[in-house]
Amino acid sequence: MKKYLTLFKLSFQQELAYPINFVMWRIRNVIQIFLIFFLWDTVFSDPNKIAFGYDKAKILTYVFGLVVVRPIVLSAKSFEIAGEISRGELSNYLLKPLSYFKFWFTRDIASKVLNILFAFFEITVLYLILRPPFFFQIQPIYLLAFVMSLVFAIVLYSLLIFLFSMFTFWNLEQAWGFAFLLLLFTDFLGGGIIPLDVLSAPIQKVINVLPFPYLLFMPLQIYLGKLSFAQTGVSLVTSGVWILILFIVVNLVWKKGIKTYKAEGK
Amino acid sequence: MDRSIIVERLTKNFEVNQKGKGLTGTISSLIQPKRRLVNALKGISFSIKPGELVGFIGPNGAGKTTTLKILSGILYPTAGFVNVLGYTPWERKHDYLKKISLIMGQKNQLWWDLPAQETFELNKAIYEIPAREYQRTISELIKILDVEDLLATPVRKLSLGQRMKMELVAALLHNPKVVFLDEPTIGLDLIAQQKMRDFIVDYNRKFEATIILTSHNMDDLVNIAKRVIVIDSGEIIFDGNLSDLVNHFAKEKIIKVSLSKEVDFQKLESIGEIKEINLPFVTISVPRPATASAAAVLLQSFLVDDLTIEETPIEDIIRQVFKGGLKKK
Repeated sequence: MKKYLTLFKLSFQQELAYPINFVMWRIRNVIQIFLIFFLWDTVFSDPNKIAFGYDKAKILTYVFGLVVVRPIVLSAKSFEIAGEISRGELSNYLLKPLSYFKFWFTRDIASKVLNILFAFFEITVLYLILRPPFFFQIQPIYLLAFVMSLVFAIVLYSLLIFLFSMFTFWNLEQAWGFAFLLLLFTDFLGGGIIPLDVLSAPIQKVINVLPFPYLLFMPLQIYLGKLSFAQTGVSLVTSGVWILILFIVVNLVWKKGIKTYKAEGK
Repeated sequence: MDRSIIVERLTKNFEVNQKGKGLTGTISSLIQPKRRLVNALKGISFSIKPGELVGFIGPNGAGKTTTLKILSGILYPTAGFVNVLGYTPWERKHDYLKKISLIMGQKNQLWWDLPAQETFELNKAIYEIPAREYQRTISELIKILDVEDLLATPVRKLSLGQRMKMELVAALLHNPKVVFLDEPTIGLDLIAQQKMRDFIVDYNRKFEATIILTSHNMDDLVNIAKRVIVIDSGEIIFDGNLSDLVNHFAKEKIIKVSLSKEVDFQKLESIGEIKEINLPFVTISVPRPATASAAAVLLQSFLVDDLTIEETPIEDIIRQVFKGGLKKK
């Protein structure tokens, strides 16, 4: 365990090795928030307008909620895996008494902690500037479920990145393509752009079977108290089952991939 | 255990994507990928005793690095048996990985943006090196390689030679019993090369470590490896003492004569291939079986002050090995 703790500390230093880079990344996030915020603010310029069951207050609450949940769930370093496999840098890790995925999961967590620290500061400032209607959940049971759903989402997201990155074993040249696909899925099927409940019920049913809505959409719904106890339970169980499935699949694919690994270049 | 490395009938096949020239080639390979099977290793066998230092040589693409990668557990073999220190490398048991190290001149494990000592600390944790042992090893390595002043410098600001030294420290911190060195002196200046060689010999002796070394640097081999394994096109064509390499492969001997009078060089050429003329000295290379008769002819037909018969220099043989010009006997 100590090895991953040391790695955790080192990741922090690494993230801050290029402070300007990091600051720019945070600025990008802030601008993105402004963009999404003003987009919806304009769409719902009439405060009485209701579209897809959302009025202005509700949609802005969702959007602002995204601002909080995004850095927690989506800050991840493990997108580098694809490149490492295709450039042969994976060899470095295979030589060490170390689990490759635990290594990257640790780096993901370090990245999240750092991003959350900054996001917390930004969100406070933005909240004071934009003064969005924000819903404060106070029921402990929902808060607990929300934290659980976030933990599940974090694990789920890292597993998804691992899985999508490992296609590189068989397609060395297309290292980035699949990771890009995952980013698309996360945004469109995960609720990163629009709340998924604006979609028609049958489509929602299909999407809810996939792992993606459990990244951003479901945790937010739980926080906003939009799900009943039963629905909250189903949501948590479904994402738990996905974690189990992906855990097994990732390990299987890894075992196969590592056998075809050519350690090219290095 | 009397052998630390055992390799038997080790085979490795690769599937390689073939791509045509230019844009059209790229497009056609997208539509119809052509794959070619490469037999990188064709069933090689050898074994190495504990504490031995073996040079692994051969032309580019002969299978040297592939062998090292399999021995260190990075690659799975297609077929064959390998046992290193009682372990099967590609199972990558943590106990095994703690006992070996693979060092490649073109590979780096150091964290690029951080000082090298951070990587060392991380490796200390990863390899679970006890604090006292770590202190002892690192201070020794730092002293031998003379890198004390550079520990706090971010790796990206180090020169290639300095970085190689740091890579070496990082790779040896856990005191491996078996070390695979792939081109350890590549890109280093002459002085650094010599230091590296001294270090390898030193490490081998001090820790009784088993070392396999591949190199394209003649001096690396001549100065430090007693035993060499020559590999070409995935097959071992020689395995023995470096000094026997000449007897094994040299088809010619070298006759050096000192002439006391101007001679007809055409007549000399009929005896053997003239390698060098630096009057009064002439160097002729003759086929081994004909050495004695050639010497006799020389002494009879020319006014010779002095005559010596020598073996082909080991450097020439190794040069031929790198060119891939040697065949299995």
